[in-house]
Amino acid sequence: MSASQSAVRSRAEAVKVSRTLDWMIMFTLFFVILGGYHVHFMLVAGDWDFWSDWKDRRLWVTVLPIMGITFPAAVQAVLWWRYRIAFGATLCVLGLLLGEWVNRYFNFWGWTYFPVNFVFPSQLVPGAIVLDVVLLVSGSMQLTAVVGGLGFGLLFYPGNWPVMAPLHLPVEYNGMMMTLADLSGYHYVRTGMPEYIRMVEKGTLRTFGKDVAPVSAFFSGFVSIIVYFVWHFFGRWFGSTAFTKGS
Amino acid sequence: MAATTESVKADAAEAPLLNKRNMILGIAIYCVFYAWVRWYEGVYGWSAGMDSFAPEFETYWMNFLYIEFVLEVSTAGILWGYLWKSRDRKVMSITPREELRRHFNHWIWLMMYATAIYFGASYFTEQDGTWHQTIVRDTDFTPSHVIEFYLSYPVYIITGGAAFLYAKTRLPTYQQGNSIQYMVATVGPFMILPNVGLNEWGHTFWFMEELFVAPLHYGFVFFGWSALGVLGVLNIEISALAKLLKKDLA
Repeated sequence: MSASQSAVRSRAEAVKVSRTLDWMIMFTLFFVILGGYHVHFMLVAGDWDFWSDWKDRRLWVTVLPIMGITFPAAVQAVLWWRYRIAFGATLCVLGLLLGEWVNRYFNFWGWTYFPVNFVFPSQLVPGAIVLDVVLLVSGSMQLTAVVGGLGFGLLFYPGNWPVMAPLHLPVEYNGMMMTLADLSGYHYVRTGMPEYIRMVEKGTLRTFGKDVAPVSAFFSGFVSIIVYFVWHFFGRWFGSTAFTKGS
Repeated sequence: MAATTESVKADAAEAPLLNKRNMILGIAIYCVFYAWVRWYEGVYGWSAGMDSFAPEFETYWMNFLYIEFVLEVSTAGILWGYLWKSRDRKVMSITPREELRRHFNHWIWLMMYATAIYFGASYFTEQDGTWHQTIVRDTDFTPSHVIEFYLSYPVYIITGGAAFLYAKTRLPTYQQGNSIQYMVATVGPFMILPNVGLNEWGHTFWFMEELFVAPLHYGFVFFGWSALGVLGVLNIEISALAKLLKKDLA
């Protein structure tokens, strides 16, 4: 290869090549990250995300942001710190949501006939936007971890509340009080019906009256900060360009 | 004038930098094939896939499994063998334009890998969750597993291996050794397939359908993380492309 030769014939062709490659790269990144993030998320947080009768005010609120902040932190570590692209977290979350929605519609509904309002995915976009905006405005990994990570945890419940509120309305069924989501669960029997609903909230502590969701959200936010730090460094490692020694 | 005319003729005869037909065809093959697979699941999952002791299960699902095993092994052998056999033995002396053309081809392979990863890791894996929450399993080879583990995973393994081999045999960038993150991005998702052994072992001994979030599944999670190795491949590619284009873009 001669260094004096050029790969392109003109500046216009160079620009066109560069733009075309941008689209090819974006397509590849989007779908590979979607695949990795989705398999991670469904197996570390999936049950709380699949079924509306699992979307409670304690473990759903706690587990999902902690497990959800992982890939956004790793992808930001490359897209922002190498290329100053400020939508790493949003890209991840949009990929995850696309994968989930396609699945819930074509498989949960289309193959096994659970109604979509029983199996819709959780909303993570508000937290992802906050992560990206904090990073864009501050340019600081520490601040993004602390402020963005806490925001990612805190915003999860309010971000989902408009969709979940109607399903948390109380109903009486055969003399028992339950939520509409629980009732849906009883009607759509699954192979292993969880004792989950009876397992949660056994503690007596009610510092904020009846509201346990804020406690869960704060705890989730604190852990999300730590997870962000750890996954930032995972992201840096995954972005490394080292080669094994050639033969 | 004559020289200019010759140059224009040569340009017209030259292969384009990006072969759009290959790119569209490559992705379309996965989409059309998996649309057919999904139709097959929809029809024969319910009618023939619920009792592994029934004769129709053997007809529609076990035979599907045997056929896909044969096709996967032969496809991997032919494709990987062709890529290796037709390798460029003078890869370090290609022109910059040819190198750029090969980078485009490489990105077509990576786009196909991304499509295969999407269907394997996202579409058919979560689909498996809803099937098992609906039907009690009595075999390792449930309809969802015949597609997920033994079709969609081998397909992305074959595609990832082909992308890696293309880069290794045709691009100067990858001649200095083996890219660690490229290996992570292709070998890691490959390791999900052997991890199926652990999964089936666990499901043989415990009834655990009530939790998709189960420690038995964490091997899949660990190897799923390795998809992030694509970030390292991205960085290597951007550096290589910047060297090829930088002075023309300046």
